Amino acid sequence: MLFKIAIKNLLGAGIRTWLNVFVTAISFFMIIFMSGMYDGMREHAMQVSIETEIAGGAYWHPAYDPMDPFTFEEAHSIPPPAVTALVDQGQAVPVLVSQASIYPNGRIMPVVMKGIMPEQEIVNLPTETLAGRDESTIPVLIGRGMANYAKLEVSDSFTIRWLDANHTYDADEGMVVHIMDTENFKVDLGHIWIPLDRAQAMLAVESDEATYVTYAEGLSVMDNIGEWIPRDVKYLIRDMEALIAADEPNARIIYVILLALAAMGIFNAQVLSIFRRGKEIGTLMALGMTRSRVVGLFTLEGGLNAFLAVIMTVIFFGPVLWYFGAYGIHLGIDYSEGQMGLIMAKRLIPVYSIGLLTITTIIISIIVLIVSYMPSRRIAKMKPTDALRGKVAV
Amino acid sequence: MTNNSVVEIQNMVKRFPVGGDFFTALKNVNLNIDKAEFTGLVGPSGSGKTTLLNIIGGLDSPSEGEVNSLGMDLKNTSHGERAELRRSQMGFIFQSYNLLPVYTVFENVELPLILNKVDTQEREKQVVEAIEWVGLSDKIKSPPAMLSGGECQRTAIARAIVHQPTLILADEPTANLDAENSHHIMKIMVRLNKELSTSFIFATHDEKVMGYLRRIIHLEDGEIAKDENIDKPEFDE
Repeated sequence: MLFKIAIKNLLGAGIRTWLNVFVTAISFFMIIFMSGMYDGMREHAMQVSIETEIAGGAYWHPAYDPMDPFTFEEAHSIPPPAVTALVDQGQAVPVLVSQASIYPNGRIMPVVMKGIMPEQEIVNLPTETLAGRDESTIPVLIGRGMANYAKLEVSDSFTIRWLDANHTYDADEGMVVHIMDTENFKVDLGHIWIPLDRAQAMLAVESDEATYVTYAEGLSVMDNIGEWIPRDVKYLIRDMEALIAADEPNARIIYVILLALAAMGIFNAQVLSIFRRGKEIGTLMALGMTRSRVVGLFTLEGGLNAFLAVIMTVIFFGPVLWYFGAYGIHLGIDYSEGQMGLIMAKRLIPVYSIGLLTITTIIISIIVLIVSYMPSRRIAKMKPTDALRGKVAV
Repeated sequence: MTNNSVVEIQNMVKRFPVGGDFFTALKNVNLNIDKAEFTGLVGPSGSGKTTLLNIIGGLDSPSEGEVNSLGMDLKNTSHGERAELRRSQMGFIFQSYNLLPVYTVFENVELPLILNKVDTQEREKQVVEAIEWVGLSDKIKSPPAMLSGGECQRTAIARAIVHQPTLILADEPTANLDAENSHHIMKIMVRLNKELSTSFIFATHDEKVMGYLRRIIHLEDGEIAKDENIDKPEFDE
């Protein structure tokens, strides 16, 4: 009986119903969109990191500590045979890491110099631009952030100074052969990339020596690697996960703020709706509707409001969510120099997880039910005579 | 309570809190209304007619005294029991019609039957009959916004009679109507009273209504000043 009356009331109220439903649908959309953006940002950071840096994981020289540049000097050797075999099969790429200084435009800048095989396809870096260059200068690949910071352009030359394996300083001329656009500032800022064989020659180490070897995605970790240390994706993204975990309270606060805004909007719409219907409530009571049924009716109307809002969100805002999910949103600002402390996409693509959609739908529906129940409970406590006179105070 | 009584009131007082004090709206009311009576509570504004009507209908409670409507002692009943009494045995007609604006005439009249859980087929039959009774068959699908004042009040009458109640309470039913419509409405109610033996209690100060009443209870300052039976009402046919 209540369901039938609630449906009649909702559909009969026309614009008032659709206004309430629209407010709720907007809330749905905003929460899903904003949370999707947030999740997308974090997902993107992870994805870019894996694509351009981590791939399937790595085997590290036992002395290598990327956070301690002083370890670079000793952190190189020929990788274990099993790892070398992976390299030979094209399923891994060795990287030789060392400290260096560059002198662009007469200034001195400390950098991390990384030698990498130009023909590799394990990480998504344009290393092929290092291949087939004139032997007279060292071909150097740098990122856009580094280029801006050092004021370097393609074909610019500068001096590179490094400490070789014999603890002798040496220097030579490097030339920028390519400036890559990457969203991963960790392979950009403070980094110069050169061909692996040149790096091995410059550092006076044996050919085949490397600091770490990054292997392709999908390969399982080998255990016959001597003293070298396997580092899987989980280990390599731990700093990012820690950053995301530290950011989790912020994400929750934003979610709660959006929910609170939605709740206020829905509450206002419901209170206004119920306020306008004081006389109707009095009439229903006079016709013999009990207080509990009045509360039930208005709560049910709120529930149906939420249901219609879900449908409206799918129909009207679904295509918008899909569009942004497919094509992303251009941020208009280049964060590639790491100002955000997290890898940021130039075009951010929201991610709408099933969990986000389900939890948001459930929470909004509960909020709608609560904010429908609260004012109608107050009204149902009124004297029918006051309600009949339209003296509604909620 | 006698078998023939629909309303029996003894020593009833009604006070309302006003600021830090109380205003006595009804004092020492003693009243007995029998089945099939066509009674009016008459008096100036503020005399307590609507308050008395609301108490009889269980919409309000007395501060003191006994009130028995349709065999139910209203002082010792819950909100739910009073709602059940109104739902099954009473009909209400209001000055401003109180039709639900989003419903059609049919749906407004249908509402008491939905509340009484009458099945769909029976409901439709009773609604159509009630609408025919008030002569609104041609407006059955119209919303209240498309009706005149008289038509709205006729819809309200149909809603009040559709579940064939024992008692109908009408609060200033003609206050918003012109003379022609007022007479039309009153004639419908007289007919209902005579043919279905439905008891009517009006709260009114409209002389046109008074012309149809067979009993007039005069209220002054919350007290019954005069209770007169009219043997030959002015507009009785």
